[in-house]
Formats: sequence, C-alpha cells, structure tokens
Amino acid sequence: MATAKQLSVLRRALPASRLLSTAAASAAFLSVEDAAEDVISMKGVRISGRPLYLDMQATTPVDPRVLDAMLPFYLSRFGNPHSRTHLYGWESDAAVEAARCQVAALVGANPKEIFFTSGATESNNISVKGVMHFYRDKKRHVVTTQTEHKCVLDSCRHLQQEGFEVTYLPVRPDGLVDLDRLATAIRPDTGLVSVMAVNNEIGVVQPLKDIGCICKEKGVPFHTDAAQALGKIPIDVEKMGIGLMSLSGHKIYGPKGVGALYLRRRPRIRVEPQMSGGGQERGIRSGTVPTPLVVGMGAACEIATKEMDYDGRRIAALQERLLNGIRSRLDGVVINGSVEHRYPGNLNLSFAYVEGESLLMGLKEVAVSSGSACTSASLEPSYVLRALGVDEDMAHTSIRFGIGRFTTEAEIDRAIELTVKQVEKLREMSPLYEMVKEGIDIKSIQWAQH
Amino acid sequence: MSFLLSRPFASEESLIMVLPRFSQLGARFLKESGIVSFIGMVRYMYLEVEMVSYTDMTLWITVTFVDKDGEERVIQVPIGISMLEAAHENDIELEEDPADEENDMLDLAFGLTETSRLGCQVIAKPELDGMRLALPAATRNFAVDGFVPKPH
Repeated sequence: MATAKQLSVLRRALPASRLLSTAAASAAFLSVEDAAEDVISMKGVRISGRPLYLDMQATTPVDPRVLDAMLPFYLSRFGNPHSRTHLYGWESDAAVEAARCQVAALVGANPKEIFFTSGATESNNISVKGVMHFYRDKKRHVVTTQTEHKCVLDSCRHLQQEGFEVTYLPVRPDGLVDLDRLATAIRPDTGLVSVMAVNNEIGVVQPLKDIGCICKEKGVPFHTDAAQALGKIPIDVEKMGIGLMSLSGHKIYGPKGVGALYLRRRPRIRVEPQMSGGGQERGIRSGTVPTPLVVGMGAACEIATKEMDYDGRRIAALQERLLNGIRSRLDGVVINGSVEHRYPGNLNLSFAYVEGESLLMGLKEVAVSSGSACTSASLEPSYVLRALGVDEDMAHTSIRFGIGRFTTEAEIDRAIELTVKQVEKLREMSPLYEMVKEGIDIKSIQWAQH
Repeated sequence: MSFLLSRPFASEESLIMVLPRFSQLGARFLKESGIVSFIGMVRYMYLEVEMVSYTDMTLWITVTFVDKDGEERVIQVPIGISMLEAAHENDIELEEDPADEENDMLDLAFGLTETSRLGCQVIAKPELDGMRLALPAATRNFAVDGFVPKPH
C-alpha cells in the first residue's frame, strides 16, 4: 500500500518517538536536516514541533478513559446492536442502552428520550426540518437567532425555500438574545424556537431557563443546540423547558462521528425522520447504531458528569490567566461577547490596529481559530461577530482561544508570549497604530482613492 | 368479523371499537359486507393496528357506535376525511391525550400524522358519533411488491 510505504520511509527518517498519523505522513515533506531538528514543514510553514492546541471549540482530544471504553467494541465485542439472535448483538445492544443512560443522566432526561445520530449537525437537521415537516399543515414559522451554527441557519434557509417563514432574531452587542423581542416574534403558527445554548465562536451562554419559560407559555417547542454546552454548563431539560436538544460527542472529549438528539416525551414532540430505513432508533434515525462511538460518547458523558465542576473551576482560572497575561502587556484588546454570561473555556479577543491574517500567520505555533474570512470555507468573515455589531476590521483580527480539560498553565503562558510578541511586532509596523498614538482619530480620515 | 350484542351493557362496562388487522383482502371483505361494526365484550385488547388505505373513494365504512345505554348508531363514513375535521364539523370532543405506551407504538407506525391514534384505543362514546378516520397508505411491513398476507 502506498501510504504504508511512505510511512515506513518517514519512520526511518524520524526518531522513533515521533510518530505521525498516516494522513500527516503522506502529506508532509521532510528533508534530512528537518528531521534532525524536529521541524515540521507543511503548507509552506515551518514550525518546530507540534503546535499548542488551544482550539477546543473546533474539537477536543479523546480522553484516554473514553478510548479505553471504546476499544473492546472494535476488536472483540464488535456485534451489530440490532442483531437479535446471538450474543454479539445482545452485548452490543446492552452497551448502547448503557451509553444512552449515561447521556440521559448528564442532561436530566429519560433514556427513552435520547436518540443517537452522527453528530450535532444531523441532530440539528432532524430538529429543525423534522419538526417543521411533521407539523407542516398547522405551523409555518420558525424563530431563531442570527448567531446560530451554520447547520441550523442552513436548515432554516432550506425551509424558507420550501415556503416556511423564518425570523432571524438579532442579538444584543453582548451576544445575548433579547427576551422581549423573542416573545413578540412568536406567532400562533410558530412551530419551533431554536436558540443555541453556548455559542461556538464567542462562548456566550444564552438564558435557557427564561427562553424555556416563554416557549412553554406560548406552547412552542424549544430547540437548543447544546453541542458546546454539554458537559460544560449544567443542563436540566425539565428546569429549562427544553423540547429538543442537539448533542455532540467530539466536543466533550469523545469520538468524532457521533452525537445525540434529545426529544421530549411529555408532551410528545414528533419529527419526520431525515434518514429512512429499517426503523432503528425508534424510526427517528435509521441506520446501524455505531456501538464503539456511542459507547465512547456515553463514557465521555459519564466522565463529564463527575468532572464538570472541577474542569469548570480550573478552566476559569486558566482563562483569567490568559486574559490578564495579554491585557497586562497590550492595550486595545476587546473581548467579543458578554463577559459575565460566558463559558470560560472560550475566549474570543480582537486586537485593534492589527491585520488579522498576518496575526494568524505569526501564530502558527499555537493552534487557534479566528473570525476572519481566510479561515472560513466561503471566504465570508464571521457572521456571528457581525451580528454583535463588531466592525469588520476588528472582526478580522479576532482570535478564539479554546481552553479545555487537558490545557496546562505552561501552554497558556507560551500562548500569551507568542500572541503578545506577534501583536507588538505587527503594531510596530502599522501606520494606523502610529496615527492613533499621535492622537489622530482614524475614523475621521478621508482615504484617497486610487 | 362482527360480534352481536347478546345482552344490554351495564353502565360501567366500556365498549371498545376494535379495528382488526386489515389486509387488502380484508378491505374487499368490508366492501362486500358493507358493515364494520365491532362491539366487543372484552375490556380492552391491545392490538397493534396495521391499516391499509383504500384509494377507491366510493368505498364507505359504516361505523356503529353503541353507547352505555345500548343505543346503536350506524353511520356511513366516506374514506379519506380526517378525524380532526370531523371533530370540528360535528363539535365532537376528542379522546383524551394518548398515554406514553400508545405514543410509543404510534411512533413506529407508517404515515403518522398529528392526529393519529391507535384504533384499539379509541373507545366508543356517545360524543364520538360521526367520527371519521383516515387510514395510512402502507404498513410497517415492506410489501413493496404488493404481497398481501393471508388474514388470520
């Protein structure tokens, strides 16, 4: 096999302790001197060693305890959980049901209300499109916010194509939804209200309990995309009046490729399935349930139930450290989104008078994400930051730091170093910054046309 | 299948209208007999109802409701009208909300709608006079080749 051959060539060039994944090995080009100095060269960038990982909102590493729980289901207990006639099927099914209980326990739900899917994107699709299609004769309106995840917004746009009406509520400059506007936006023919629990870009936590109250009064199902919230903030579907909830495995130190959908039983909320087939998962989502992935998600949820408090406190301290470290050495640093109603592991900062793409290029030794166009597949700058009213130039310089269970203080300190150095370097070169230092108001400048 | 009344009903006994498992064979039977009336003497039968729809719009069902006083009411019902419309037209009180177990079984039915109920759970009451039912286009079984099992 070609990749195995390449891998063996690279293995000879590398010291034994450095193992690259097959994909990285086939993509990386290593010269002999590079190998000796431990330098990685990829996509035209040379860095010494693997970058620090501070992008926990994009994905998280799998907790070793979760991997331990998953492996037997790949190697020896590999049965199809829907096989009803033999031990392999029975034990697989038992494991899936146990995982279902673990996920349900984390959110305060009945295990019968949890359905496994391929991820939060699929759960969001089932929630938005499924609910509206089922009730299409009576309900023609959806209420959502402008800062939702793309899968929710795209599902809503798809519904608009089909003739439904969608209200995209604006948010306040701190990222929170205005409850009065939400209440007035709900109409008698509103079939769904969808507001995400914790925003993936800015980390803002929406007032779920209040929104749940409003929806309960008006008799409208409340859907929340809790992919970033699961295991990080306490969720109770009863107290928060949640009707549907999308959950993701790989944001809580579980495997990628699995997620779950919470669907309320009393009062029963029905959805039209998006995946047709043999009726698995009570017809809501047909397809063989991937036992190892589901067991992994269950294990991750169980660990989160136990460690949510501790992680929360530790991550809050790390966020303080990061923020103070940067703010003590730089001015013109703006936090995007509410400071009080925020999940501490997500810190989205904008650095004034710095060009975003150059900042990113200089931060190659820290794996972070940004709100600028170059990191988006569609070359569109972040619509979430635009909804907050952030100026385009500030949106371009936004960096999202994601802190997680395995982030160490040393990593935070190094990230502070690198960020501060890079920002200072860029500001040194920036004529805009010079002008600001001299006291000129940038907004009053008339730029000459070429 | 029809059960005849052998004695007047006591007031506490509930009457159950039971729709049996239909196949297309059953549909033909009904067409010929013209009557669908089921008055069971049993308390309740927990049947999973699998129903086939009749695309022939001239097919009518006669539904007989018997109230607690033993009064029979025979109604000719055309197929294809929903129960909800009937409720609105005739000012009928709908059955109380389905219980969890009924909802669980309904979840598995083909062609589920907002107003679906299990036939065995719709108990004959005086207020339900004039009820009309729409049947789904297929069952849980994948008889896409048109296979029809023998009735049993």
